[in-house]
Amino acid sequence: MFKKADSSALWAVVISLVLFFIGGLLTTVVPPLIDTSWAKPFDNQDPAKGVTGKLVPLTDLQKKGKAIYVREGCWYCHTQQIRTLLADTKRYGWKGVDAPISTPDEFVFEDPHMFGTKRTGPDLARVGGKYDEQWHRSHFRNPRDLVKGSVMPTYPWIVNDPVEFKALVAYMQNLGRAKDWRPAKDYEK
Amino acid sequence: MQQQISRAETGGAAAPTGALIHEDLTARWFIVSSIAYFFIVGIIAILISAKFVWPDFMGTVSWLSYGRLRPLHVNGMLFGWLLAADMGLTFYVIPRLCGVKLWSEKLGVATAVLWNVIILGAVVSLLAGWNQGWEYAELPMFLDVLVVIAWIMFGANLFMTVAQRKYTAMYVTIWYVMGCIVWTAFVYLTGNFATLFATGTNQANLNWMYVHNAVGLIFTPVGLGLAYYFIPRSSNTPLHSHKLSMVGFWSLAFVYVWTGAHHMIHGPISQWLQTIAIAFSLMLLIPVWAVVYNLFATMKGQWHQLRENVALKFLMSGVVFYLLTCFQGPMHSLRTVSAIVSKTDWIPGHAHMAVLGCFSFFAIAGTYFAVPKMWGKALHSQALANWSYWMMMIGGLGFFVTLWLGGFWQGWQWNTWSIPFIDTVVALKPIWLVRFFSGVLIFIGIILFAYNVLATVMGTTEEAAS
Repeated sequence: MFKKADSSALWAVVISLVLFFIGGLLTTVVPPLIDTSWAKPFDNQDPAKGVTGKLVPLTDLQKKGKAIYVREGCWYCHTQQIRTLLADTKRYGWKGVDAPISTPDEFVFEDPHMFGTKRTGPDLARVGGKYDEQWHRSHFRNPRDLVKGSVMPTYPWIVNDPVEFKALVAYMQNLGRAKDWRPAKDYEK
Repeated sequence: MQQQISRAETGGAAAPTGALIHEDLTARWFIVSSIAYFFIVGIIAILISAKFVWPDFMGTVSWLSYGRLRPLHVNGMLFGWLLAADMGLTFYVIPRLCGVKLWSEKLGVATAVLWNVIILGAVVSLLAGWNQGWEYAELPMFLDVLVVIAWIMFGANLFMTVAQRKYTAMYVTIWYVMGCIVWTAFVYLTGNFATLFATGTNQANLNWMYVHNAVGLIFTPVGLGLAYYFIPRSSNTPLHSHKLSMVGFWSLAFVYVWTGAHHMIHGPISQWLQTIAIAFSLMLLIPVWAVVYNLFATMKGQWHQLRENVALKFLMSGVVFYLLTCFQGPMHSLRTVSAIVSKTDWIPGHAHMAVLGCFSFFAIAGTYFAVPKMWGKALHSQALANWSYWMMMIGGLGFFVTLWLGGFWQGWQWNTWSIPFIDTVVALKPIWLVRFFSGVLIFIGIILFAYNVLATVMGTTEEAAS
C-alpha cells in the first residue's frame, strides 16, 4: 500500500488524507456527539448536587463588552478556565471560598471561546463580582496605581469612552457567574 | 541525469545543450517578500518583548498596545515570513525534483502577489483590532477567504508540476509537500470556518485542532520536506534511508491530528479526550525520531562540513531543535507536567524553539542555498552569513532557556497558592529582561541575513561557472 505511494502521486494523496481523516473526524466531529454536556447549558437548582445556578446568554451590553475584550487581545494574557487543579480552585477563590472548576456546560453560548493559553496575568474565569466598577476604572487607567509591579498595559481609550467602559465592566462582572459560587452573595457591582 | 540550472545562472549566454532551465520567478518573489516581513515583523517582536519590561512603553495609543501587536507578531511571522519562505523554497525545490519546469510561473507570481495583499491586509486589520478572537485564526473572514484562494492556486501549481514529472519515483520531499498542501487545506478550514458553526468547548476543540496542526501538519511537513532536500544537497551526501523516511512520513500522517486536545489538559473538556490526546502525543515520538535519526545518519562522516557550510549549520541545528521541541511537546501533554508548565512562560520558549529554532532555521538555510543559484551570483558574504547564524543561535538559546527556567519556576509558584499572583509576575521580570536582549540578538541575526540576501540580489558578482 505505502510502496505504491512512492510512484503514484494520487495514491500518496489518497492515503495521506485517509490517515488524516481517521484521527481528524474522531477527535473533532465525534466528541461533541458523545459528550452531550458540551452543548447543554449549566442549570442546577438543587444544592445537594453541588453549586447552583443557571447559564444564560449574554445581554447586549455584555456582548459589546466582550467584543472589546476580544478586540484588545485581553485573552492573550488572561485565561478563563479554572482547571481541575487544587492550585486553580484555591488561587482563584475569594474570601475563603474555593472557585468552582470550570465545566463545558458553562460555556455553551461562548463564541468566540475565551479559554486562552497563557497567564501573564491571572485567570479571569471567576473574576465577576470580585472588584467594583471604580476599581476597574482605576485599574484600566493605570494598573500600576492599584497593583504595584503589574505589567498590564494601560487602556486610556477605553476608560475615556464611558460607553465602552460600561460595556467592558458589564462583561467582566458576569464572568463565572453562571455558577452562583459565593454563599455570602458578596458580589461587587 | 539531466543538468538543471536557473535562468540567471546562464548569464544571458546560450544554455548548455540538453540542460533544463528553471525560470524561478515565483520562488524569487516569495523569498524576497518573506524576508521583508521577517525584518518588519522582527521589529514588532522587539516592541512586544520590550513591553514586558517597560509596560508603559508606547502604551497610550490603542493600535500600538500589546494586545494589537501580539497577533501581528504571531501572524506576521507564521504567514508573512515562514509560510511564504517555505512556499518560495517549495517552488524552487519541487520542479527540480520532478525534472520539469514549474507548471505555471504566471500563476505562481499571481499567488505571490495575492499573498502580499493578504499580509498587508492582515497588518491593517490586526492593528485596527479586527480580531476574530481565535489564536492563529485572528484574521477577519475576507482575508481567510483570500488565504483559501491563494492556497488553491499554490496547490494547483505544484500538483500540476508533480503530475508532469519526468522521474516516476517521488523523493520524500515531494510527499511531504503534497501532504502539507492537502492537510493544510482541511486544517485551515477547520480552524477558520468550521469554528463559525460551533461554540464553547466544541469550538475550542476545533480551534486547538487547528492551532496544533498549523504547526504539526503545515510547518512540520513542508519544513521537513525542505530539510530532506537541502541537507543532502548542501552536503553532497545521499539520504541515509528511503525506508525510514517512509516510516516518518506515514506515522506523521496518522498520529499528528489526534493531539489537539492536549492544549486543554485539566481544562473544561472531557477527560477521555484529554487522555486520547496524551496517548497520541507520546506516539509523536515515532515520526520525530525516525526523521531525526535519518537526517543524523545522513551526516555520518560528513559532520566536518559544518565548519565551513553555513546552510548546513542552520539545517543541523534546526534538526537538533526539532528533536528537543518534539520531546518537550509529548512531555507537556502528560497531566503531571502540564500542571506545572501549562499557561506559563515555558510555553513561548517551547513555541519559539519549534518555529524559530527549527523551521525558520530550515527556511534560512534553504534561502542561503537557493538565492545564489536563482540570481546566478555568489553569496555576498560567507562571514556575514556565519554571523547571522551565531546571532540567531545565541539569541535563540538565550530566549528558549531563560523562558524554560522562568516558566518552570513560575509554574511551581502558581502551585503554591499562598504566593500572591503579582509576586509571580514580579519574579519573572529578570527573565523578561534577558528575553528582550536575546530578542535583540535574534533581530541582529535577521538584519544580517536580510542584508546578505539583499546585497546578493542587488550585487553584480557573477557566480563562478559551475
